[in-house]
Amino acid sequence: MRTLLIAMAALALCGNASAGGNAANGKAISEKVCAACHGLDGAKPVAPENPILAGQYNDYIVKALSDYKSGKRSNPVMKAFAEQLKKKDIEDLAAWFSAQQSNLHFQR
Amino acid sequence: MTPIRKTMLAALLLAAAPVYAQQAAGDPKEAHKKIAMCEGCHGIPGYRTAYPDVYPVPKLGGQSAVYLANALNAYKAGQRKHPSMRGIAASLSDKDIADLAAYYAEGHK
Repeated sequence: MRTLLIAMAALALCGNASAGGNAANGKAISEKVCAACHGLDGAKPVAPENPILAGQYNDYIVKALSDYKSGKRSNPVMKAFAEQLKKKDIEDLAAWFSAQQSNLHFQR
Repeated sequence: MTPIRKTMLAALLLAAAPVYAQQAAGDPKEAHKKIAMCEGCHGIPGYRTAYPDVYPVPKLGGQSAVYLANALNAYKAGQRKHPSMRGIAASLSDKDIADLAAYYAEGHK
């Protein structure tokens, strides 16, 4: 019972307070644009230079992609991809990746 | 070529370029003395940074050590610009960065 309560509390805490992103759309975009480097669900990137995205905070992914798009964060590859994304695409991708499971977790 | 295809090609070409980053093996145990400066933000679940933009600081546990070290080095060099991260990373040695990257990548839950 106690475990269940803790699990429920944890789920409530990490509930993806998404800014209205559509995870299904995000999945479709990710398969075309992101999966080749970050892995199909963002959990197993193909190279250690590429971060795990699965389970990352929704708003952090939005922030990172928006900064790549604007050039505030500079990475030639990510800029080229992010430039092609609309604001809605970015929200959809964040909704998708933040809802996936991986080794990534909150670490004190 | 569609823009996506062009970008894919560019990505592949860049990926094929040699990686020059020297990744010394970090010691997670050494990091215990150094994580105090990280915990103030990354050690609070869902903590949101307020300046210059409001957004949650990323989860680090289980992340790739190479990615984490590259991020810290980019902040240190001023290529990534978050003011607090810039200041903190500037105070880290190569060994500190390797140890911290190893600590978070190891990711005890």
